[in-house]
Amino acid sequence: MSANRWLATGNYFTTYQEEQRIFATSLDRLFCACFLAMLFLWPFFYEFDSKYMLVIDNILVAVIAILGLNLVTGFAGLISVGHAAFVGVGAYTVACVARAIGDQHVVITHGWPLMILFSGFMGTIFGLIVGLPALRLKHLYLVMATLSFQMIFEWTIGFMDFFNQGQTIYVGRVYWFTGEVGRKEHYLFWYYALLVVVVVCGFAVRNLLRTRHGRCLVAVRDNDRAADAMGMHPGFTKVYAFGLAGFFAGIAGAMHAYLYRGVGMESFTLHESIQYLAMNIVGGLGALTGSFFGPAAIKILDLQVERLAEWAAAFLPSTMNLATALRPLSFGLVIVLFLMFEPRGIANWWRILRSYVKLWPFRY
Amino acid sequence: MSYFFQLVVSGIVVGSIYALSALGFVLIYKSSRVLNLAHGQIIATGAFITYGLTVWVGIPIFISFVLSMLITFFLAMSVERIFLRRLIGEPIISVIMVTIGLMSIIDGLIYLTPFGSENFSFPAFLPETPIIWQGVSISYTQMVGVIITFILIGVFSWFFKKSTVGISMRAVSDDQLASMSIGVSVPRVFGLAWATAGLSAAAAGSVIGNITGLNFGTLHAFGIIVFPVVILGGLDSLLGAVVAGIIMGLIQQFASGYLDGNWGLYGTAQVLPYIILLVLLLFKPHGLFGTHEIERV
Repeated sequence: MSANRWLATGNYFTTYQEEQRIFATSLDRLFCACFLAMLFLWPFFYEFDSKYMLVIDNILVAVIAILGLNLVTGFAGLISVGHAAFVGVGAYTVACVARAIGDQHVVITHGWPLMILFSGFMGTIFGLIVGLPALRLKHLYLVMATLSFQMIFEWTIGFMDFFNQGQTIYVGRVYWFTGEVGRKEHYLFWYYALLVVVVVCGFAVRNLLRTRHGRCLVAVRDNDRAADAMGMHPGFTKVYAFGLAGFFAGIAGAMHAYLYRGVGMESFTLHESIQYLAMNIVGGLGALTGSFFGPAAIKILDLQVERLAEWAAAFLPSTMNLATALRPLSFGLVIVLFLMFEPRGIANWWRILRSYVKLWPFRY
Repeated sequence: MSYFFQLVVSGIVVGSIYALSALGFVLIYKSSRVLNLAHGQIIATGAFITYGLTVWVGIPIFISFVLSMLITFFLAMSVERIFLRRLIGEPIISVIMVTIGLMSIIDGLIYLTPFGSENFSFPAFLPETPIIWQGVSISYTQMVGVIITFILIGVFSWFFKKSTVGISMRAVSDDQLASMSIGVSVPRVFGLAWATAGLSAAAAGSVIGNITGLNFGTLHAFGIIVFPVVILGGLDSLLGAVVAGIIMGLIQQFASGYLDGNWGLYGTAQVLPYIILLVLLLFKPHGLFGTHEIERV
């Protein structure tokens, strides 16, 4: 039966190929295309304040990082408490090059796409190294491995002169075909650059999850012994998951470095790692759409918390910094509440909404 | 040579505090297989409660020490009751995530109090001049801290060996189903494990606070340094926690005594435990005294 691919009110898959399509229906594909077109076109019609533009850029950077974290924590089921450190590896790769050959060198300013890719590879290498204990161990221990990587990373950056002891290392402005990207169009330029990378990475992950290399991650998460019996190597799969996560984190880090035009330690601390975990949990562990919802939700929450803190600062003694208190508090609460009441995250709401629309006007 | 012995003495002081901090962590892991990432925050809370009772309420320090242990006992019990009880049976990954969330929440709550941004120190209640013997010096605070630590470790090991509650806790860690069938309430044991962990954390926090002063950063770092300690000792071994705590203290002191300043290195004491942790995870993940689990990847 060839089902109507536009108005199907349910899933009528008859072959595995159909089940594995990127978009279940043509309507989905159309919506996705329209949404992407909108993302690319809205800056022509509306101009945001640069403060909000930065927030949007930040969300996109976080989306790239979370795509990686979701692969390792969501799909492969290995908790990584050191994701900010992997992002930091990417950022500091750019910073190292800037430090070694000067922050206005042509490699930095003109070769930025290559730098971003290179940072991704550095992230992969570190991911593979930190993932090595996964060859022998279960995830309980991997929490510790990633945590210790986070601590070692913080120490290395904080104590070495080469890294400016965690102070900001500047990265030069980049060049596009139209010449140097100036102050005015900086955020807009990086919005487009990030958007392209997000779209590419998003489709890459979606496609990865359709192949055996992605499906083995899920298989190992669900039952490693069964996966072993089916011919996958659970240990290597886990190490490979860490490598993949490191790749996305590295790319996110390099983009972060270029976006802020500098690299400082404060963006890659343990708190940031926890924030990444919060994004992943809120978005939905093991759901690709979650990688997009989570960062958006958390960054917007962050913005609101900051606003609340600013508003409340008028009523409080000036010695008290409410934002430093409210930030961890809100992230912690969000993590705990989502885990207790909606462990599948916002992606689950999205799924419910979609199935409602799909089946409309029928109900269960 | 006295330099060496000085390092040994301060290593034992630091190490025994690590041992006390790791004790609570191991307790929770042993009974409920939960990695408690919020342990450092509980340690800090205990220390701050002691300070509040001593300085703001004006209770003598030894009484407030005991009081704060009791308060943290009930606090930790209620944390278990509110957050973790309903997650029994959920995959272990979400339970660990909840403790990460808890870590963040307690962080936020502490930043709301003055303790988050300012440093405090306990009023001196012991003689300030250190004891010096053959060029090796140890302050009275450190000595009392070590003595308290060892007394507490003794009490805990008696508690687990002899008391009925302790035996039921060991039974649960051994086999939950079997202990349920002989009438041990497993959720109650989980609660008690958290509560005792809170108690030992409060004690550790107060001892640390007396020795180093109350700084939130230092205090909650103790919750992270327990990871290398418990891995070295074996995740589920109380004896291992004590031995590994002291080994780790010695390693840190030797590192800062002999490595720092040479070969352009400094601050090695902060990073060495984590490097050891990574290496241990690769080669000897069960540590010195941990049980070898047959289940492998």
